[in-house]
Amino acid sequence: MQPTAARSRSRTKLRVGVPLLVLALAASGCLLPPDPVTEAGQDVFNLYLVVLALAAIVFIGVEGFILYAIFRYRRQPGDDVLPEQHHGNNTIEVIWTIIPTVIVLILFTVSVITLGEVEGRSEDPGVTIEVDGFQWQWTFSYPEGGTTTGTIGSPPTLVVPVNEPVRLVLNSLDVNHAFYVPQFLIKRDLIPVGENGEPNELEFTITEEGTYAGQCAEFCGTAHADMTFVVDAVSREIYDEYAAALASGSPPPATGGGDCELTIEITANNTQFDIDEFEVPADTAFCIAFENQEAVPHNVSILEGGEHLFTGEFLNQPGNIIYEVPALAAGEYTFVCDAHVQAMNGTVTVTP
Amino acid sequence: MATTTLEPRAAGYRRSWVLDWLTTVDHKKIGILYIVNSFLFFFAAGILALVIRAELAVPGMQFVDQDTYNQAFTMHGTIMIFLFVVPVLAGFGNYIVPLMIGAPDMAFPRINALSFWLLPLGGILIFSGYLFGGAAAEGWTAYTPLSGPDYGSTPGTDLWIIGLTLVGTASILGAVNFIATIFKMRAPGMTLFRMPIFVWTVLVTATLILLATPVLTAGLIALFIDRNYGGSFFDPTVGGNPILWQHIFWFFGHPEVYIVILPAMGVVSEVLPVFSRKPLFGYKAFVFATVGIGLLSFSVWAHHMFTTGAVFLPFFAFMTALIAIPTGIKMFNWLATMWRGKLMLTTPMLFSLGFLSMFLIGGISGVMLASPPIDFHVQDTYFVVAHLHYVFFGGSVFGVFAASYYWFPKMFGRKLNEPLGKVHFWLHFIGFNLAFFPMHQLGLSGMPRRIGDYSPDAGWTILNLISTAGAFLIAISILPFLINVIATFINGEPAGDDPWEGNTLEWATSSPPPPHNFDRLPPIHSERPLFFLTHGHGHAAERPEDLEEEPIGESKSGDAERRPEDLV
Repeated sequence: MQPTAARSRSRTKLRVGVPLLVLALAASGCLLPPDPVTEAGQDVFNLYLVVLALAAIVFIGVEGFILYAIFRYRRQPGDDVLPEQHHGNNTIEVIWTIIPTVIVLILFTVSVITLGEVEGRSEDPGVTIEVDGFQWQWTFSYPEGGTTTGTIGSPPTLVVPVNEPVRLVLNSLDVNHAFYVPQFLIKRDLIPVGENGEPNELEFTITEEGTYAGQCAEFCGTAHADMTFVVDAVSREIYDEYAAALASGSPPPATGGGDCELTIEITANNTQFDIDEFEVPADTAFCIAFENQEAVPHNVSILEGGEHLFTGEFLNQPGNIIYEVPALAAGEYTFVCDAHVQAMNGTVTVTP
Repeated sequence: MATTTLEPRAAGYRRSWVLDWLTTVDHKKIGILYIVNSFLFFFAAGILALVIRAELAVPGMQFVDQDTYNQAFTMHGTIMIFLFVVPVLAGFGNYIVPLMIGAPDMAFPRINALSFWLLPLGGILIFSGYLFGGAAAEGWTAYTPLSGPDYGSTPGTDLWIIGLTLVGTASILGAVNFIATIFKMRAPGMTLFRMPIFVWTVLVTATLILLATPVLTAGLIALFIDRNYGGSFFDPTVGGNPILWQHIFWFFGHPEVYIVILPAMGVVSEVLPVFSRKPLFGYKAFVFATVGIGLLSFSVWAHHMFTTGAVFLPFFAFMTALIAIPTGIKMFNWLATMWRGKLMLTTPMLFSLGFLSMFLIGGISGVMLASPPIDFHVQDTYFVVAHLHYVFFGGSVFGVFAASYYWFPKMFGRKLNEPLGKVHFWLHFIGFNLAFFPMHQLGLSGMPRRIGDYSPDAGWTILNLISTAGAFLIAISILPFLINVIATFINGEPAGDDPWEGNTLEWATSSPPPPHNFDRLPPIHSERPLFFLTHGHGHAAERPEDLEEEPIGESKSGDAERRPEDLV
């Protein structure tokens, strides 16, 4: 073998091998769903890993062959000799009919097994909550009798207990929607079914306390992107307290905020805030624990110029709420009560 | 008896070239009209794609409001699918299929002209929603009840329905024409199993169109009745069923995916053998796989509806997974075609290799989506957007560009510039992957499709920014293509009849072909009559059945050099 040919062949190997390695690393480092927080989500996640491994094998095999053929079988300039004219081979055709057949049968079998686990229904779920979707909000109705809904800029919170099955009955009041929390690794459509139809149900058991962002996943018109909600998974005691308070009409105790690294406390009374300035670091989400001490509607919103960057849900009665405020860029902003902009305002300093 | 002197007809009748193109019934001119018209809609829908990507680059609504955004993605999807990918491939079919089977024209030249002219009319109607209070904004799938009378009430949606009905009718007429042409107009000797694979894929595609598109048309008319005449097909409050629309739409919509990909597979199956200098490996396996995909495509529609809770999941998961088998057979046959070949990396070959690599990714993500539990997570997220773009764009559109570079010399007698073509390919390939690969991760992280805005806390910003950069790179990559086309018209390298050493009959006539296509046809003994002509019997002897059969062309007329009048 001539040295130059050997060198060019090893270079060819390098050229083929390095991109493949990069692709394999890229595929193993990412292309994963979020860490699941429900039992069914864990099943989906495990299934996904199996399927991703099969996909990676097929991808690397086929893509590797394409690259190999490109480098190995190039026509040299001036080479007019025809390669051997293979028209096909029935044995080989049978073999590569069997290969994808085996792969898809494996995929189908593991999928159906997981499907059975994911779709499993408990005889007696811990809580059954009615979820109504409509353009472009959610209403959550609890078995204890309380109901909560959101407003623009202030998504509603679904409070559920952890470590027990939660069943949602999914109704649509107008067009199709879908209930989707990425960390549950599952979604289900809300379809308007009329008087005689059966609404969809979704059941899950959350295994970790925390707050999880969710949003409508089925396109539902103008403000589809704003149709968000929050799931707050809490212990059974806190859930009972919350549901009872909601049912009795008294302001629900503040939930959530467990993830807040920084909480600013603001109190409103006599149409005044108790503070007129506060300071937070840039590019960091933070919480505002807001307490309204009088029977006058107040909220807290953050503005840049005249534009709302964050709009807090109104408390119409004395009560507490925790706002989760997205990260802000460094600079000066104002915070106001939207009902009393002149009387109730202050400065937010966001330090770099 | 009085005698009359007749003027020579053709020479005595002149008309302007504009009128000539407007009234032409020549399949080659109609094919070019199809292609030019489709590319104009491609550019329009591409600009809408840039609007979408610009808006998504960073959180917040910077350029358009939510309604404008919703119109943009609705029109982008509708126009790209119905007025670019389907008709551009139909255009290549129109131009190439009669040439490949040795026919002088399509079977019904006037219906051919009608089915073309319905397209710009339908497209303009769909776009004209912008003049009447806003275009349709319900997504290209137009799910009810959102598209029904109570919610999607702008005239734009009615215009969308009427326009699509016309475009669908055009497709149906075209399909009838292709089927009649392929069954009735083949040259003597061109048996079904000697037809080029591209012709096979067009035949199966036309059959799918004929079976699937009328279902959509019926659904569109039902929706129109619901919206305008008090119908209640899809209205749940008075006994209708909104899920019915999804069934109708996807019973059409999934075969539509194969309507769009099969001809592109056909293009690749012509280009790969020519530039590997080998025959397509497993010709008959490839034909059966194509027919198999066509049959299976009617039993998988509800995999778009796994999260509706209204379909039997295991059945549709199984049927969907089955489609991977014929698709896998095709992929292996393409690879074996290159095995021990002598590859020439011309621009059409590069786009075909790009097709193989990108369609592979789209195929793999498609099999992942066939698993219902995984679909529960990624349905209606950007994972689906990534998947469908790897199939439609990485598959079909790469095939369209392979066809453009491959057949341009035949259509216009000049070769597109190769270095510029390679610049186009590489910009396109890199831009495509930058734009669409990150969407897999966005979808897995939970970003829903069809949202114009997302929270800065969601962690989706960087990947969206990369995707937007890729989209603009794709737009830039179109420039060398346009420059190439214009420069080639002005001063392109003459192509000659057969610049690529092709296999199929279109390379046996002049470039561009005369109006009647062929002065003479070579004998047809295999699916590669031209290879046979150039390289003789020595290579054909590898398929002994080719030599045993008496060529029909010779036995029928006793003259291998058939003239066009024989066909009349």
